Amino acid sequence: MKRILLLLAAIPACSFSAHAKINVVATLPDFGSLAREIGGDKINLVVLAKATEDPHFVDARPSFVVSLRNADVLIDGGAELELGWLPPLLQNARNPKIEIGKPGRVQASQGIRLMNVPANVTRAAGDVHALGNPHFTVDPIIAKAIAQHIAQSFSALDPADAAFYEANYKKFEATINAKLQEWGAAMSPFKGQQVVAYHDSWPYFAHRFGVNIDIFLEPKPGIPPSPSHLTEVIAQMKAQKVKAIIVEPFHDRRIAEKVASATGAKVVEFSQFPGGLPGTDSYVKLIDTLVSRLAAALK
Amino acid sequence: MKKIILVTLAILPVAAVSAQEATPVASSSPTPAVSNSTPATAADVDALRQQVQSLTETVKALQQQVKDQQAALQKANLTGESGLPQNPEPSPIAAAETPPAPGASAPSSFPTEDTSVVSSTTAPPVSGTPAPGGFPTTDTSVVTSAAPETISSTGAGASLTQPITIGGGKNYMNISLDGLFALAYSSAKDLDHIEVGDHDPQQRGFNARNIELAFDGAVDPYFEGFANIVFKLDNDNETDVEVEEAFMQTTSLPFNLQLKAGQFFAAFGRLNPTHPHTWDFADTPLVNGLFLGPDGLRGVGAQTSWTLPLPWYSQLIFASQNGRGSTGFSFRNPGDDGMFFDRITTDREARGLQDFVWIPRWENSVDLSPTQVVLAGVSGAFGSNETGANSRTQIYGADLLYKWKSSHAEGGFPFVKWQTEFMYRRFQAGRGADESFPVAETFHDWGMYSQVLWGFRKGWVAGIRGDYVDMQDSNFTDDLDRQSRWRISANLTWYPTEFSKIRLQYNQDFLEENFFLSGRQVESVFLQWEFILGAHGAHKF
Repeated sequence: MKRILLLLAAIPACSFSAHAKINVVATLPDFGSLAREIGGDKINLVVLAKATEDPHFVDARPSFVVSLRNADVLIDGGAELELGWLPPLLQNARNPKIEIGKPGRVQASQGIRLMNVPANVTRAAGDVHALGNPHFTVDPIIAKAIAQHIAQSFSALDPADAAFYEANYKKFEATINAKLQEWGAAMSPFKGQQVVAYHDSWPYFAHRFGVNIDIFLEPKPGIPPSPSHLTEVIAQMKAQKVKAIIVEPFHDRRIAEKVASATGAKVVEFSQFPGGLPGTDSYVKLIDTLVSRLAAALK
Repeated sequence: MKKIILVTLAILPVAAVSAQEATPVASSSPTPAVSNSTPATAADVDALRQQVQSLTETVKALQQQVKDQQAALQKANLTGESGLPQNPEPSPIAAAETPPAPGASAPSSFPTEDTSVVSSTTAPPVSGTPAPGGFPTTDTSVVTSAAPETISSTGAGASLTQPITIGGGKNYMNISLDGLFALAYSSAKDLDHIEVGDHDPQQRGFNARNIELAFDGAVDPYFEGFANIVFKLDNDNETDVEVEEAFMQTTSLPFNLQLKAGQFFAAFGRLNPTHPHTWDFADTPLVNGLFLGPDGLRGVGAQTSWTLPLPWYSQLIFASQNGRGSTGFSFRNPGDDGMFFDRITTDREARGLQDFVWIPRWENSVDLSPTQVVLAGVSGAFGSNETGANSRTQIYGADLLYKWKSSHAEGGFPFVKWQTEFMYRRFQAGRGADESFPVAETFHDWGMYSQVLWGFRKGWVAGIRGDYVDMQDSNFTDDLDRQSRWRISANLTWYPTEFSKIRLQYNQDFLEENFFLSGRQVESVFLQWEFILGAHGAHKF
């Protein structure tokens, strides 16, 4: 009984101490990483999806409801990537602070023109996103825009620290601008080269860094590779002398290895998310790793 | 549309003005033309100078006009559509616009042909200040006109260029159609007695027991609405229609409260509140079908739920329903032909609160690790039944779910899920409406099922389930539903995508002998298939 009383006493204490820091929930690790860049130690951050798992299919765990219920800010993609699991969580969280339109809701795709918006929405084309390709954060210029959104949201909710968030944004922006030179230089020798990916997660990366990533091991988005499709891919790869196959941590690497051994290409482990690869605990480190891995494979 | 009107309005005056201004220019032009043949005089030069001056002024005036119009347009666009809650400046547009590299000065260092990045010479090379003149870029990845407009409160933002789609978050309501079918073989001729659920295969051969239309959406800023209308074909291929669920619920009550009202499934245990197409097996567990009813425990009523302010997930749910008819199976159910457990039922109006079904539930969940979740709940359902004037029913339930999912899951696979439900029912069977039955009895029945699902590779799930129901022996009724029995089931399901599935299931049923009924063993095989059209049904945990 005493324990329960203690626990009950602890509840208001928890909510009081929460005043000091903004409770931020990010659906995906890339948004989480940007939130950390801006918020530093002035936020409590909870990231729902794991960096190594398929972001389309995350379990709507009850514990996520608790995180969302306590959130001051929710950062989500807003482009249907989390469509399979976020809506029921929000329904259960019943948190008006993170409703769309409130300063506590940052939809990362806001103001971003998405690529590959399908003219016709049909599931015969596989797991196509009606609003366009939602894997946009791997473009550093888009990441800057998202970071700015986040800074605006944090500043609105915590005006006292607005200068801090703004300064962090400026710092992040400057870092990205400087890094873009470096990344651009590293990728420039491979301009126009064809790269194969397991899933169509890389149009923004390809666009930014000048490579072509439009052959996929999946015959259609979300549909597992079939032998006949792989035969076709192998023929295309040989014809175009493709040197690299991009796989993400949750993809079946063995399939990529098979294709690689048939074509002489290298399998390159990629991740959309900071933390998805070793040594990538920040956004900049992630792009560093992606660029250096791809450049090494294309040499 | 708005834009088109604005653009038209902007262009019209410009055109009109330029037409007016063009006139004096044209009238003054003959002079130099005439003097072309003669040598240039000072007067000629003066005339020319004046002409050039007037032309320059005209051009300036036009430029200014165009600029003004553009500014007005820009302003209208931005203020009209900006969804950014606070501080729209410096806008993300500018951030996205800002060239990442000083394209002009160091063109070789950053290999892009992106016009927004390279060719913009007016903007300062690296800074956060907005680029003047809006966003004249063609870079499809970066550009931004305004915040996306959203209609659905739960749906995602939609871009303005999108066509209206069903299920794309651009409409007021999500619609989906789900078709669930089965081809059944059974060693029993009366498969409809062996299978205890109304949506289970009911006859040898083909079955279409669950064709479901589902609607949901935000009603307004305060409510969400849901409806599931089920069509099913009976064994004579006649169509039955069920309003399985139709309810509204609040979205913005304070203190983590939620109210729900309408026709809905009772939140009793894990399986009861869910729709058949989400089930992991082709049929209902025995205990659900025999205690909560073939259609599950559902009815017209109201429910309130409260998530407790605790560090872990803990929710209290409390509902009240009429509990009348076959969807209130163990409660105010008149039964088939006015009989239940061989008693003539009363089928009366509610006399007071005691005749409603009261359904409390408390569920808790914790994450054991980043890959493991446990959810445990206890439920109850209390009300009266129709077998006597003061006969009452109590059902108690406990449920446990454990799930492991790989930290490198693709499409949600691989995973292992273990789910168990236990129920105990105390049923006071009276002597019937006219006291014609020889005795009143109190049945203490219990049952449970336990199932393990293993998603061993993307799209593939193997499952095994054990079922047991213990019905207290009665020497006074030979009701088929009072036979103790157990079942073992195994299945294999292939999900080509999350919108279709094909399942093969084997059932072995053992019905225990009692005073009236002989024991028997039944084997059944089901081939089940399903399709989903329309809105992506999000997966509840």
